[in-house]
Amino acid sequence: MSPAHPLRTMRAFVLRIGGLFAGEEKNREVNEEFESHLEMQIEDNLRAGMTPAEARRDALLRTGGLSLAQENYRNRRGLPFIDNILRDLQYAGRLFRRSPGFTAVAVLSLAFGIGANTAIFTIVNAVMLRSLPIEDPSRLVQIKQGENTDLTNPIWEQVRDHQNAFSGVLAFAEDRFDLADGGESQFAQGVWASGDYFRVLGVPALRGRVFNTYDDRRGAPALAVISYAFWQRRFAGDPAAVGKTLRLNRHPFEIIGVTPPWFTGLNVDRGFEVAIPIACEPILHTDGSTLDARSTWWLNLLGRLRPEESIAQASARMKQFAPAVYQATLPAHWLPNDLTEYLHNSFDLSPAAGGFSQTGTHYRNALFVLMAIVGLVLLIACANVANLLMARASARQREIAVRMAIGASRARIVRQLLTESLLLSLLGAAFGFLLALAGSRVLLRLISTASSPLDIDISPDLRVFGFTLAATLLTALLFGLAPAMRATRIELEQALKENARSAVAGASHFNLGKALIVGQVALSLVLLVGSGLFLGTLRNLLTIDPGFNRQNLLVINANFEQAAVAKSQRVRVYGEILERLRAIPGVVSASSSMHVPISGSTTNGFVRPEGFTPANLMDSIAFFNRVSPGYFKTWRTPLLLGRDFNLHDDAAAQKVLIINESAARHFFGSLHVVGKTIGVERPPDENTGRPGTDLFEVIGVVKDARYLKLDEQPVRTIYMSSGQDTDPWPNINYEVRSNGPVERLIPSTRAAFSQVNRGAALNFSNFETQVNDSLLRPRVVALLSTAFGVLALILAMVGLYGVTSYSVSRRRSEIGLRMALGEQRKSVSWLMLRDVLLLLVVGLALGLATSLAAGRLVASLLYGIKPNDPLQLAVAVLILACATAVAAYLPARRAARLDPMAALREE
Amino acid sequence: MNDKADVWQGTLALMVLKTLETMGALHGYGIARRIEQISGDLLQVNYGTLYPALLKLEQEGYISAEWGTSDNNRRAKFYALTRAGRKQLAEEARQWGQTTAIMARFLFPDEEAS
Repeated sequence: MSPAHPLRTMRAFVLRIGGLFAGEEKNREVNEEFESHLEMQIEDNLRAGMTPAEARRDALLRTGGLSLAQENYRNRRGLPFIDNILRDLQYAGRLFRRSPGFTAVAVLSLAFGIGANTAIFTIVNAVMLRSLPIEDPSRLVQIKQGENTDLTNPIWEQVRDHQNAFSGVLAFAEDRFDLADGGESQFAQGVWASGDYFRVLGVPALRGRVFNTYDDRRGAPALAVISYAFWQRRFAGDPAAVGKTLRLNRHPFEIIGVTPPWFTGLNVDRGFEVAIPIACEPILHTDGSTLDARSTWWLNLLGRLRPEESIAQASARMKQFAPAVYQATLPAHWLPNDLTEYLHNSFDLSPAAGGFSQTGTHYRNALFVLMAIVGLVLLIACANVANLLMARASARQREIAVRMAIGASRARIVRQLLTESLLLSLLGAAFGFLLALAGSRVLLRLISTASSPLDIDISPDLRVFGFTLAATLLTALLFGLAPAMRATRIELEQALKENARSAVAGASHFNLGKALIVGQVALSLVLLVGSGLFLGTLRNLLTIDPGFNRQNLLVINANFEQAAVAKSQRVRVYGEILERLRAIPGVVSASSSMHVPISGSTTNGFVRPEGFTPANLMDSIAFFNRVSPGYFKTWRTPLLLGRDFNLHDDAAAQKVLIINESAARHFFGSLHVVGKTIGVERPPDENTGRPGTDLFEVIGVVKDARYLKLDEQPVRTIYMSSGQDTDPWPNINYEVRSNGPVERLIPSTRAAFSQVNRGAALNFSNFETQVNDSLLRPRVVALLSTAFGVLALILAMVGLYGVTSYSVSRRRSEIGLRMALGEQRKSVSWLMLRDVLLLLVVGLALGLATSLAAGRLVASLLYGIKPNDPLQLAVAVLILACATAVAAYLPARRAARLDPMAALREE
Repeated sequence: MNDKADVWQGTLALMVLKTLETMGALHGYGIARRIEQISGDLLQVNYGTLYPALLKLEQEGYISAEWGTSDNNRRAKFYALTRAGRKQLAEEARQWGQTTAIMARFLFPDEEAS
């Protein structure tokens, strides 16, 4: 008969699922049917003239074997495959209930292993793998210039108006906008968006409307689109918010729409709150708009690929299109060489489906290393559970032997044992998943700081579930398969004999256990060495002498962009404020500067020191800062030679500068450089186009201080006098040294500002916090690697303890015999320990070799410590050796306390 | 053991459907006897093959089952053709006719010619 109609097959399948749960009632019914069949056959036979005995015999022959029929029938009623799994699961569940200790240890080991993996993977997924929640994100590409992602507005306008490679293009830049009306700043996460931004991304308005190209033309009114989260937070979801006015950097913007809750911007790290058109830039940047600036690089460009077109096709079109764009946007007043280079620029495309994440970039290597670490932890957990399972398998030898003797195939028993493993790892995964939910949240809070809070969506998605499931199945196979194969390789006869303690095929069984222990010890050592290295790195970073004192320093960033202070008045106003700050009780000293160390803000340029011939272009680069008198005193950076700036170093006086040790040695080969002159290149002026050189006299040399990062080599730094600033920025930093907690000073400093000018937007921070935040990554890596290292150590100890105990129980009779024959307790302990110690030594050697080989992989995350640091290796070896020796000694000692008579009687 | 052939699983279902069409509602034993009889006792149906096949047909909805009483007052489960079963039987019978005709033409071309 041909196969039934698919619908019929489906119907049968559904009924068979129901049949899985058929109870005794059904079985009785079937038996009754068979019984009546048999009876009818017998009756017919009797009627045909057979004797009752003959009739019965013939009927039984004709109807066939009863038990086979019952089994065939049952298999047809349910789904035999699933039926078996259900039965195996039930059986496994019963076993686990009977040995709660074993189950708890195994499930916990796996929960930690799987949980740690899922937690780290959740972060990796959120910042590196996940696609943006927008329309068809895979069609979104970033338009770059080589590796350079920031482009100028003139380039953007050319691309916007003339490109033919994409179905749509957009430009955006991230910024933060001050919501406060003066005084202490209150920032909103902002986005400068082109008119097509929302349309190209496929984001409609939830309320009101989003921007169109008309909103993004020069001179358009100040409009804003806000995010759902911001709407909820600031307006409590009030529908009337649309049409209201929002003040950004103290300029009114009309809210025209709210985006749907699922759109949180292109930055994965933190959602956007307010978007305003790029054309509104002149409204906020009163000091000078960048809309026509041909060398201000600030916009990110994205394009949406045309349907049916590949990234390569779009790329080819953009490359063809590039020369016209660059020709049309030539920066005026550049040197001929630079212009030639500018014209050689092209466009490069890269997929942008994942959005942008500084966390993903900054923590990339750290996350990979952490992923590897938790992978190792899971392996160790697997080895542990495998060991436990083997120990148990030996206890279940007789049960398995009996089942095989009555006809269960080896495959069937392996399947039963694997089902138990799977159930264990599923339980572990369930707990692990809960751990991971909490763990990834904690992790996110760890890497989030007050100055740069992270708002990453880490709710688990299908990929995270898939990862956990894959990890679960893999672990079940890893720890379950080998023990199951071993357990079923048994000599039936021997196993069934009354007193056989170990019928498992020879010594090979225990060899697997030994290999697992060696592996565990080796992997644990790798993790311990790793955490030692990361702790050492953190210690080095915390204790380096940065060339300044980071404690008790309040840093105030003051923005005068919206304050009514003319550029020519800035030097005077800034100085006046500094005087007031110095007068505050509790202030030890105060200063101002263009840049604050370790803050990420820098300036560099080419210098022409007297008598210095640069070997190449990079040779004459130096980093700049412009500081007030008293800066070095406030930062506690020692002045080695010469003098500090003073109030006489003003615009009218000879231009002077102070250089650091590195600069002095590099440019002059000596520290005795006071009185020498250094020419500093002025950037070509956008208006006059005249590049030039100012001549400065060196008046002092200071000790090297860290400039951009704590873990950098000292950079050549040149300090200029803030009194001689001809083009002062609207933005300035004040640093105030106090003799106590700096937060105490905030109210009085705020008052000092408002006495001089009420318009400045202020942002206060504790410098020590800033420094600590800059050490966040090494701190997190050290913390997590140590936590996982300790976890690995505990797992290894549990494993070793288990294996030694097992070995002791296996050799009870031997021990009893030895002791009965007069062997000393000590030598019995030693007998038990000897094997384990050998394993330890092998494991440590293997771990050491692995650590040395893996060291290269983490080198980029280390500071001031070599991956093969002998002291670190020695400490890790010592800790591991002690811990595992203790774990092995406890059961060995128990062996020595054995009552020989009791042990022998059992035989 | 005797040398009677066991019925193939596939054809058994078709025979069951045909039997039920001819005989009306019938219990398992009756179906088995009828098939054996029609085959001239060349086939033997034991309940290890018959009852799973009945169950399968029932699951697919081609037959229905109900407990009842047999001629000699014995409780037995009676199977009956459903409407879907009747349709399936017609379709299957047509296909079988076609198949056997084709095979016959292949294997015994002379008889075809005559």
